[in-house]
Amino acid sequence: MAPSEPHSLAQLPDEMFSIIKAAGNGLAPRLGRLSLPGRNVIETPHYLAITSRGVVPHVTQDTYVRDTNISGVYVGLEDFIERGPAQVPPIYKFNPPDGASPLRCFIALPENSLLVLGARRTPPVAAPSANPNRTDSIAVCTAVGFKTLRAVDYANAVEHLQPDIVVGLGDVPHGRSLGSKRIEKATDRTIQWMSDHVQSRREEVKEHNAKQAKLFAPLLPVSCLNQQYYIDSLTGELADEVSGLAIYDLISVGDLPEALQHLPRLDLTAPQTPHEVLQRIALGMDILTLPFVTAATDAGIALSFTFPARTASVTNGSHTEVLPLGTDMWPAHHAIDVSPLAEGCDCYSCTNHHRAYLQHLLAVKEMLAWVLLQIHNHSVIDRFFQAIRQSIKDTTFVEDAEAFRNTYDSAMPESTGLGPRIRGYQFKSEGRGESKKNKAPFGRLHEVKEKLPDSALPNADAGADVLEEHGFAEKQQ
Amino acid sequence: MSAPEDDMVLLPRPSALTFDLVAKCTTTKARAAVLTLPHGKVQLPMFMPVATQASLKGLTPKQLEETSCRLCLNNTYHLGLKPGQKTLDAIGGAHKLQSWPHNILTDSGGFQMVSLLELAQVTEEGVRFLSPHDGTPMLLTPEHSISLQNSIGSDIIMQLDDVIATTSPDHARIEEAMHRSVRWLDRCIEAHEKPDSQNLFCIIQGGLDLELRKECCKEMVARDTPGIAIGGLSGGEAKAEYCKVVDTCTDLLPDHKPRYVMGVGYPEDIVVSIALGADMFDCVWPTRTARFGNAITNSGVFNLKNAAYAYDFRPVDEGCTCTCCRPPSEGGLGITRAYIHHTAAKETAGAHLLSIHNVHYLLDLVRRAREAIIEQRYPAFAKDYFNTLYAGQTEKYPRWAVDALMGVGVDIVGGG
Ligand SMILES: [Zn+2]
Ligand SMILES: [Zn+2]
Repeated sequence: MAPSEPHSLAQLPDEMFSIIKAAGNGLAPRLGRLSLPGRNVIETPHYLAITSRGVVPHVTQDTYVRDTNISGVYVGLEDFIERGPAQVPPIYKFNPPDGASPLRCFIALPENSLLVLGARRTPPVAAPSANPNRTDSIAVCTAVGFKTLRAVDYANAVEHLQPDIVVGLGDVPHGRSLGSKRIEKATDRTIQWMSDHVQSRREEVKEHNAKQAKLFAPLLPVSCLNQQYYIDSLTGELADEVSGLAIYDLISVGDLPEALQHLPRLDLTAPQTPHEVLQRIALGMDILTLPFVTAATDAGIALSFTFPARTASVTNGSHTEVLPLGTDMWPAHHAIDVSPLAEGCDCYSCTNHHRAYLQHLLAVKEMLAWVLLQIHNHSVIDRFFQAIRQSIKDTTFVEDAEAFRNTYDSAMPESTGLGPRIRGYQFKSEGRGESKKNKAPFGRLHEVKEKLPDSALPNADAGADVLEEHGFAEKQQ
Repeated sequence: MSAPEDDMVLLPRPSALTFDLVAKCTTTKARAAVLTLPHGKVQLPMFMPVATQASLKGLTPKQLEETSCRLCLNNTYHLGLKPGQKTLDAIGGAHKLQSWPHNILTDSGGFQMVSLLELAQVTEEGVRFLSPHDGTPMLLTPEHSISLQNSIGSDIIMQLDDVIATTSPDHARIEEAMHRSVRWLDRCIEAHEKPDSQNLFCIIQGGLDLELRKECCKEMVARDTPGIAIGGLSGGEAKAEYCKVVDTCTDLLPDHKPRYVMGVGYPEDIVVSIALGADMFDCVWPTRTARFGNAITNSGVFNLKNAAYAYDFRPVDEGCTCTCCRPPSEGGLGITRAYIHHTAAKETAGAHLLSIHNVHYLLDLVRRAREAIIEQRYPAFAKDYFNTLYAGQTEKYPRWAVDALMGVGVDIVGGG
């Protein structure tokens, strides 16, 4: 699918983000435009697809280009540094030709996609210890467990990797609240880390005239008042180097000072449902990351909501029935249903495949199931955001969001099946699971099993009746 | 049940394919041909990836198409269990199930049954086995297999044969299996409801006994199926024995029909088997091995999970033209070994990328072989292939390959 035309390289840096329409002063939905040289111009509010080890889970890079409309991705550096600090992480040693971004080349992200890098994934796994961050480092979760990432190493890595946007390092205690005693320490550390990062950026520019990632400042997950000194430096000495804000808790936008309101806001608060997305947009979030999309995919759920709610909720007698946000594709009743995953969807999965195939793929645990769901679910999100922008433009956002809330279920549907295998380490704070040792590939032909298809043994629930009913064989006696 | 043999010889069987021989190697028995099937033309020799359950290891049909694949396998046994015959009938067959516009070949389902269910027992009626779930005795007959393959709608369907291990010491049993496979072919022909849209292939049996194989060839050829498979060879036999069987059979098979060696194989096997006159090959290995991080290349197989590749920023296979390896400047992804290492066993997409490469490698190998046959340089091609694979160390060449190629006039060790 054709991405929008990349803007010309002559784009002035000042114009990276422009607010086109804000529904009011302060916290209100707003329309903006994010444009970086060579990248898709992104109309906001919009979302970034979340990657795992550099890839949108299940979606290979060729499929990403051909069969999705994703316009940008969020990458966590912790996915790339498990060999450090004992060894230099491989990606730090990667120098593609012509000074191209090592990170972009390594993960084979197309040129026109926006590349945003943070230290942690979103949502990050909470560190096991109570105070994992230190004066000069934070705890990160790598493929081999928790490690420390020093602020100075992060700043250096970012300069090398050349993302489009980098989220500066903050002393954010993921999974824990920031107690009043800790706030002061966190503020001091974050000021220090950000100041050092800015300082090194200034030197870098002086020495090499290097092109640099736009720096987004992390806000601590407390009100702005509670991190006043940090806010002061963001509006003061750091102001000219800070191009946006990264939000980890909605509380920190509650009293966002006027001087920071022009900056694009990157939401890293991990909304769980489209309702929570609407809530964030109502608070003026511009770029969002949505962990629930891949979560739905892994659960075998095809998202099905539209915005504004296309179908009025069904009134059944006295109470109103809400519509589900998605369809669980596991149940057998889809087995001969050749309709698309969601009515009216024009994504690759829906225009080329049907529910029956999806149900089959899930039932036999074929990986393609999750590929097709991921394509579809991101397509639903694309349309969701497009409609949100239209709604803000039409000044109907408040009513539309209200109608959406009344039409759809508040939670994601329950999944009745099991998720895909592996891909587990990022959900737990323990080491990775190694797969079994491989056999010598050019052995003699005696490895019969190697030649047989996977899962060749019948499923345990394939009873005699099932076999007979399926025409595979007949019962005897 | 079985028609008189005389009729078999006189009446040509209906067929849903045409076979056009393009070239024959003047030294070896290698052939290049075009096979026109209900869902389009395919070039022989051909490698067929195995999409066991109507999907090839995470690749979309579009991606499979991009590897240049125009025929893939589905397994009857698996589709018979899920989604099952009723569902296949309701949806309209396997092409519609998986939205694959090109050709499909299915096996009979018998092989899996006998290989995997230890209690399976072959009788004249069919394969008797106990339901793995509740132990109920079941029977799979040639008629069941064909009926199911008719529902699947595959372009090439296989007869149910009496499969036993070629290494079985029981000669009487091997002979019985050969004769029974011939009788079962007659039942399959009889049961086949769609000869105008699906091509039934017979399967030559007879273990490693070349006389039995010859007799089987004669019987099977007389039944005039649209194509011919050589079966029972993906088991434990020594490769030298395997080569003798293929060599013996192809001598007796008609020139104008496709020859399929089932369950083969590895690149070396394919290069040798082509020289012995075989046209079609299938194997799950390229996609299976991708999952373990193995990349197939001209110089052998590399396990990219090995720590040495973490810092190797070269393409997976230098010079490869697949989507994964091709540089972005040529429309590819420029995926590095380091990136496959980075994702191996952690993100499914890493395995998908390697599957794209591995499947492309095998399809490209047979494409290059075909080109060599047409240009009358297959002997040089085979020699070059082994030379590259073993980095010129002729003492490392497998004996069976050297001998088999020598048998068809190619000396891959010596000069000239
Ligand atoms: Zn869709
Ligand atoms: Zn390749």
